[in-house]
Amino acid sequence: MPKRTIQNNIRRLRFDADEMTQQELADKTGVSRQTIVAIEKGKYSPSLELAFKIALTFERPLEEVFTYVPEETTTKKKK
Amino acid sequence: MSYREKENIINIFSGLLITAIFAWAVYQRHLDGRIDLTDDFQQWGIIFLIYAGVSIVARIIIYIVFHIINAIATREEKIPEEDERDKIIKLKATRNSHYTFSIGFMTAIIYLAIGFAPYVIFIVFVVSGLIAEIIDNGSQIYYYRKGV
Repeated sequence: MPKRTIQNNIRRLRFDADEMTQQELADKTGVSRQTIVAIEKGKYSPSLELAFKIALTFERPLEEVFTYVPEETTTKKKK
Repeated sequence: MSYREKENIINIFSGLLITAIFAWAVYQRHLDGRIDLTDDFQQWGIIFLIYAGVSIVARIIIYIVFHIINAIATREEKIPEEDERDKIIKLKATRNSHYTFSIGFMTAIIYLAIGFAPYVIFIVFVVSGLIAEIIDNGSQIYYYRKGV
């Protein structure tokens, strides 16, 4: 099975949600702002529960917030 | 730098400082002849218990001072609550710390097996305990910076 990685659209969704701050999202989901920063940067993959909480905050389906893509795609993008 | 990273840096330095001061004080007593660390294992037991007590009290004081200074500097009085990422980082750091102490423990046993004096075991325990603590806090800083 090819290696896959989790990507997210949180930054765009925050912008769409009336420029919601990271702190506001953190308060709504019950985590620290640093955790939101880490998720946005792809340095931390949230638990399923936190992922659902974030999706519920933006009132979007989970797959619109998080996507599970092959690692090659992300490597190519980085290049 | 986040509160957790600062907290870990403080833990590393306070651990080093407390152990260094305590070890120096105990060694001076040994040199003066007030205690014998080479043969009297009861003394080692007493020293370890005193060290545990001193370490806990000193850390509480250092932690309170750190929190006050941090609150003044950042104007954030509330200590951030631990979330799922903090818990995962702590677990991984504890795992690394346990591996380190296990290596120290095995080193002490090997020293004993090859004929070193028994008191060397206690010194290896103290050193490996200190290194394990540094690894614990260092790992946390690493995971906070590089991600988990």
